[in-house]
Amino acid sequence: MRALALLLAATSVAASAADHPDFSGEWERYPTYQGDEIDPRYAPTPIPDPPLKPEYMPDWLEKQKILAQRQEEGQPAGDNYVHCIPDGMPAMMMGMFPMEIMQRPEKITILQEAFTQIRRIYMNEELPKWDEVNPTFYGASVGHWEGDTLVVETTGVKDYVTFRWAPHSESMKITERIRLLAPDYLTDEVTVEDEHFTRPWKWSWVYKRMSDYKMQEYVCEDNREIIGEDGVQVFVPKGKSE
Amino acid sequence: MRRILPWAAAAALPLAPLAAHHSFAMFDNTRSITLHGSVTKFQWTNPHAFLEVEADQPGGGTKHYTLEMTSPNMMSRGGWNARTIKTGDVVTVYVSPLRNGSPGGLVLEVILPSGKHMLPGVPNASRYARTSD
Repeated sequence: MRALALLLAATSVAASAADHPDFSGEWERYPTYQGDEIDPRYAPTPIPDPPLKPEYMPDWLEKQKILAQRQEEGQPAGDNYVHCIPDGMPAMMMGMFPMEIMQRPEKITILQEAFTQIRRIYMNEELPKWDEVNPTFYGASVGHWEGDTLVVETTGVKDYVTFRWAPHSESMKITERIRLLAPDYLTDEVTVEDEHFTRPWKWSWVYKRMSDYKMQEYVCEDNREIIGEDGVQVFVPKGKSE
Repeated sequence: MRRILPWAAAAALPLAPLAAHHSFAMFDNTRSITLHGSVTKFQWTNPHAFLEVEADQPGGGTKHYTLEMTSPNMMSRGGWNARTIKTGDVVTVYVSPLRNGSPGGLVLEVILPSGKHMLPGVPNASRYARTSD
């Protein structure tokens, strides 16, 4: 009788785990940094310009000029890194370095290796109103399953934590639909809504499962580059080290 | 010593986004310098690793150079670890020098005492000219 009970219990656990796909493990942005050929089935959608209202456009376009110059130099778009500051949302999900997903029924945690970024997605909770949470880099996130898709809503991101320098308010809402395209390919379809936009800003990222990768420590401990008053980045050699 | 790294190999190197923590624009990518000398420190840190070298000078004596590398993530995935270079190792380093003339630069390639060539995975490496022997 006890054996039967255990068997039933085990079956029930297996069934509930099988209710949802398992995203647990290590993932890297696809296409990967090795520059492999893109399988069209898993190609991410391009990130369009933010659909800003006309009054916010001139300032953004000016910043885009600087951005274009950086890209011409093969350099990153963000400027948080220059100050040893993490991306925050949604930029964290670009997958600068590998990321790890830890999945439990009540909470899904995503870690990004670069700058040891962490976001916690509380399952089956109601999204708090933006002005009921303290503004943070990653905002407040809740999730629920719609079939095989994990739907994550986020709000309460600090207004100066930007992606591609797009201005936004603290009431910005990010909705992500995360699902497996294949056992080793995960997509994150991102929709950003904000009063600065004329319509939702949408794109998708794709991640490829990594086998045998162990996340590394990342502490931004010795930044020797600074932005001068003229806006130019300079390298500060510290001279002879001990 | 002639150019050691065939550009075909450079092109196959890991690409930019992973390593590019911030701008490398302060380095002169139109020319390189080759340093030979003793390592006073190999620092395995984020956002970037550093190599400190007492480089031999043409007229005798040495000059200290502070050389920036890419990130430990990038380098470890390219075969490096925190002990790949040790203090006191005598190395040859190909460097994109600082534009402002300070004794520093960006490491393009290192030849270890064992003779092994190591690449730190510079983003868009093919854009950094190798002009020094």
